[in-house]
Amino acid sequence: MSGIPVPDGVRAMIGVTRVRSHSVNETDIARFAQAIGERVSRRGGILEAPPLFYQALAYEAVPIEELPEDGSPRELDVPIPATRTVGGSSEFVIHRRARAGETLTVATSLKNVIPKHGKSGVLYLVVVETSFTDAAGVLVAREIATFIKRA
Amino acid sequence: MSMDPVSSRTLAPVIPQLTVVPTTAHLFMFSAVTWNRHRIHYSKDAAVAEGHADVVVQRALLGNYLARMLGQWLGGRGEIRELSWKVLSSAAPGFALHCIGEATSVDDHTYDCALRIVDDQETVIVTGNARCTLSEPAA
Repeated sequence: MSGIPVPDGVRAMIGVTRVRSHSVNETDIARFAQAIGERVSRRGGILEAPPLFYQALAYEAVPIEELPEDGSPRELDVPIPATRTVGGSSEFVIHRRARAGETLTVATSLKNVIPKHGKSGVLYLVVVETSFTDAAGVLVAREIATFIKRA
Repeated sequence: MSMDPVSSRTLAPVIPQLTVVPTTAHLFMFSAVTWNRHRIHYSKDAAVAEGHADVVVQRALLGNYLARMLGQWLGGRGEIRELSWKVLSSAAPGFALHCIGEATSVDDHTYDCALRIVDDQETVIVTGNARCTLSEPAA
């Protein structure tokens, strides 16, 4: 226990899930592959998405005016006294790769906010869980990402 | 769960290294395809204002470099089932990142791997772990 309080407004956000759907197409996959320096290939005639392609679906498409001032994703926008954000860690479980032509349901929830004393003062670990489910309701991937926010 | 020596399987325990040099264009493309509009990834002014030397290579992109290394090692014979990584130090574009890994144990068709990304000064940028499964039995 750090002894640093977590604002009540944050506690109310923990566990709240936002759900949306995405249609995956070949252009999405090709562009993602190019962005990571990968060459795409086909297996059985189907364009094979890179394993972490699900990252392309992780952030909700909201107008930039609805983002925090630093432009960081809305998923990390919690009312804590910290404005500087960096990515900390990621835990991915991949049951299968994404496929062009399918529609995936993406569910994002704030899993936890953990205050800590860091070298440069108080920091907050913002933990976000994102799950990806196919049309049959089968979980195909899940990520737990931790972001570090500082004043 | 019993673990057999890695040497009893067909995949070499030392994963061939992958070196990448992310550019600002790569960061731009990755921010675009992930719809990540966090300014520290594309505005040097914003990054410097937050204490970084330059724009910051995305946490998520660093994970893809590890995935690429693992994919080349697997050579189409298997899949990454779990991949975790932790960013220990920020990386900036224009500098080499060396992805390094080794299989630490194997059980049936499943390999557990220890991973890291270091820069030219051997500063550890990322540490990570992966679990990969082969799609066919190892000899």
